[in-house]
Amino acid sequence: MTIDSVGPGAPGGLDAPGETGRPAGHRGAVDPVKALMHRHRELCERAVDPLEIAAGLEAHGVTDRTAARLRHRDVFSLAEEMYARAARDGEDPPRAETPGRPGPRAYWAVLALVPGVLGTAVVVALRLTDGPSRPAVAAFGAPAMAAGLYLAFRRGPLSTRNRTTGAARAWTCWLIAYSLVGDGLLSAGLDGGPHGPWPLATASVSALFLACAPAAWCAHLFAARARRRLSASRGLEEFAASVRPLFIGVFGLFLSALCGLLALCGTVLDESPAYAGAGALGALLLLARMLVSRGFTRVPGRVLVGAGAAEATALATVLAARLPGCSFLAAPVDGLAEAAGPGAVPALACGAGALVLLVQATRTLTRASAHAPSCEAP
Amino acid sequence: MVVRIGLLTEGGYPYVGGDAGLWCDRLVRGLGQHEFDVYALSRTERQEDQGWIQLPPQVGRVRTAPLWTAHSDGVVYGRRTRRRFAEAYGELLATVCGAPRAAGAEAPGEPEDSADAEADRFASALYGLAELARDEGGLAGALRSETAMRVLERACRAPGALRTARTARVPDLLTVATHLERTLRPLSLDWYEDDALGSADLCHAAAGGAAALPGLLARHFLGVPLLVTEYGVQLRARYLAAATLEEAPAVRALLAAFHGRLATEVYRAAAIVTPGNTHARRWQERCGADRAKLRTVHPGIEAARFADVGEGVRGSRCADPDTLVWVGRIEPSKDLISLLHAFAEVRRAEPGTRLRIVGAPAEAPEAATYLTHCKALAAQLFPDEAEGAHAVGDNPVSFEEIGGPEIPSLEEAYACGALVVLSSVVEGFPVGLVEAMFCGRATVSTDVGAVVEVIGGTGLVVPPRNPRALAEACVALLRDPERRERLGAAARARALELFTVEQNVTAFHGIYLEIVSHSPVRRVVVDDEGEPLPFGVPAEAHVPGRWTVTRFMTERRPRWAEGAPVRATVPPPAPVRVFAGEGA
Repeated sequence: MTIDSVGPGAPGGLDAPGETGRPAGHRGAVDPVKALMHRHRELCERAVDPLEIAAGLEAHGVTDRTAARLRHRDVFSLAEEMYARAARDGEDPPRAETPGRPGPRAYWAVLALVPGVLGTAVVVALRLTDGPSRPAVAAFGAPAMAAGLYLAFRRGPLSTRNRTTGAARAWTCWLIAYSLVGDGLLSAGLDGGPHGPWPLATASVSALFLACAPAAWCAHLFAARARRRLSASRGLEEFAASVRPLFIGVFGLFLSALCGLLALCGTVLDESPAYAGAGALGALLLLARMLVSRGFTRVPGRVLVGAGAAEATALATVLAARLPGCSFLAAPVDGLAEAAGPGAVPALACGAGALVLLVQATRTLTRASAHAPSCEAP
Repeated sequence: MVVRIGLLTEGGYPYVGGDAGLWCDRLVRGLGQHEFDVYALSRTERQEDQGWIQLPPQVGRVRTAPLWTAHSDGVVYGRRTRRRFAEAYGELLATVCGAPRAAGAEAPGEPEDSADAEADRFASALYGLAELARDEGGLAGALRSETAMRVLERACRAPGALRTARTARVPDLLTVATHLERTLRPLSLDWYEDDALGSADLCHAAAGGAAALPGLLARHFLGVPLLVTEYGVQLRARYLAAATLEEAPAVRALLAAFHGRLATEVYRAAAIVTPGNTHARRWQERCGADRAKLRTVHPGIEAARFADVGEGVRGSRCADPDTLVWVGRIEPSKDLISLLHAFAEVRRAEPGTRLRIVGAPAEAPEAATYLTHCKALAAQLFPDEAEGAHAVGDNPVSFEEIGGPEIPSLEEAYACGALVVLSSVVEGFPVGLVEAMFCGRATVSTDVGAVVEVIGGTGLVVPPRNPRALAEACVALLRDPERRERLGAAARARALELFTVEQNVTAFHGIYLEIVSHSPVRRVVVDDEGEPLPFGVPAEAHVPGRWTVTRFMTERRPRWAEGAPVRATVPPPAPVRVFAGEGA
């Protein structure tokens, strides 16, 4: 092939001292493919198909000429023989536990306390102040509380990459606002008022804001446990069956934490908290947030709108009943308040919503697809 | 004749520093007479932030889509759509998992027939998913849904599935589903319309794999022919990359099978596949590419900068006749150790020879260690030498970097030696060797990668890991300046013939014209009111013979068809497909 006749080893080449055929004998005497397999042991063992071995061999400098020396047409057929001969025992290698998501763990866990602290401060300030300074406190307090919520849920297990719609956010604010002022306004309205300022449900709201921390912790607990079960389970059904009780348990844990906080706030603020209304609202918000953070935005959005609209309607009918000839409008709410007090309205609205979301969450959050690793590129 | 080319890239052109960006840029600039539309998939957010390189005016439009972020359009499938999705996805996964068709449906036949049938099955499932995405949207969400997971689990557990796939656990299924969703994102793009890829006369995918996926769909939906260029085979790169990841065997097996099938489908659907060298060509043949479609197009390398050295204006005469040069990035696969041992033998035969190793260590951390190791070995093998008793000594082996005072540029590095040596044990396309050929230098290289293909008969080739053979070849050339000259001149002539940028661009120009002439995109013929004209293209137009004069709707009319109608010289392929205007 060379354009001139003088090749290496020809006259003019290096005067090679001694033998040249030495290395053929002492290496790979019996089965050269076996020797090659031994050299690339790891590659052969972990290969999933012959092409992987071929790629690996080529990366180590094995060429078609090497393969020809081993009596193969090319690297591919050599790789096929190696793949066929490689001893692959059926058992899996011991699998490393899926490492937890690395991140500022303590950071979000502490940040989850921020809304509680801010909310309690604002609520206490609202309680202590009176007269004209009250609207000012409310005007400063509301953005502060919203900022606290934003800070707490920007990171951590309840954070979401899916953009929550403005409507869902507005209805969430309305639900919280109703739990602060709604019950008092409703009962005042039913009595023909309101005549002057009505009592605020400060204990419920501060308990709700304090519950952000247990909510985040519970969500983290659920995510961590679910991930562990994920790596242990062999089938989707098995995984769903093992996660369902876990989810119910974590949800129960949050509810009892919320009840404890309600009781605590009631005692400290000397108020009887609306266990049913605030509890249902807390459950509703937690479930909605957990669903949204896993990418299920549709149902939670609709349920939040529904619950908010139900409360707004209740309030509106009571006020609209004062128009001449419309007194019948207040009858359902009036009857409900007679029977179970004004707290029954949010309890029913949020409770029904929470129930819907609980059913939805036990169906969707126990699926493996809800626990997929982040779909962003690493 | 102006050809409108849809250039498909993934993680490359037109992004700054993208893969194959230089080649694409030269191609686009070199073919100013054609029009290019660039359809780019970006791989990471960082890449997107870095921006584009400057584009020449022949690039008409650039459309990009990210592969790194999930863009769910919020469409949730109803029952019927979900069933349609599950059927298509299940079929796709069944071919990936190697599960046979439902019992009784498979006709016994030749193994080749069954491989063909499997490829057909994969293709129809893939296009089924694409049609679903086009009709309903929401494919990204569906691929992440529990339905997809169930389908995947069923496919893995099906009788006859890959043995490794059957060991898949839930996290493995999740990983696979996530990866498939990311790879199939091009299916959800809105590029397959008449005003996007439909307006192109041909699609040119700058790589296989994900980059060629839009080309596959454009061919399926719009009949645009596809040209695939692969300088490195994507599938092979995937295998090598997967070897470094700690993934479960089931995940690797499933993904390897999927990408293998995808590569097969890309090669099957492509009108022409252009590998960059014989090695890539062999892989493509192995993955099912038809030999008749393969045209090797060697990568082009800028030759102008080496012209002065190559033509002997400078360098050639003043080159030290006793100096060997090695140029490249220093890393273990270059086997400098072997080179140093060979050089020791050369010095035994020809004392006074010098070796200059020019290059910087590669980015990998072990490369710097390797360089230190080589320097230590050189110091051990060769003591410093001096001219006389009163001069300061110097080592016959020097390690230098380009940009230093002695070697200001790359061509100077080649110019300073009489002989260029390449000692790699692993090599793809040896760019350094081609540069040495441009410089008209005689070369001694190891027989790895595409070296033999590149050098042909214009240099000496020895087996890798054989310092003695390397030394013998070097000594033979060192002792024979005339032969060196002859080989160098032949090498330069060969390189100028085969490896210039112009050669590369001209080859693609020819291939474009060939594709367009063999498979023109057929558009509906319309009358003056813009109504489709039935039988507007007479049947005779599709057989060799006289081409009946027809009118094309102006905006649908391909650019290259402007001007007077001409006699057909090439029979158009059957069957004829009429695209626009049909219900999609």
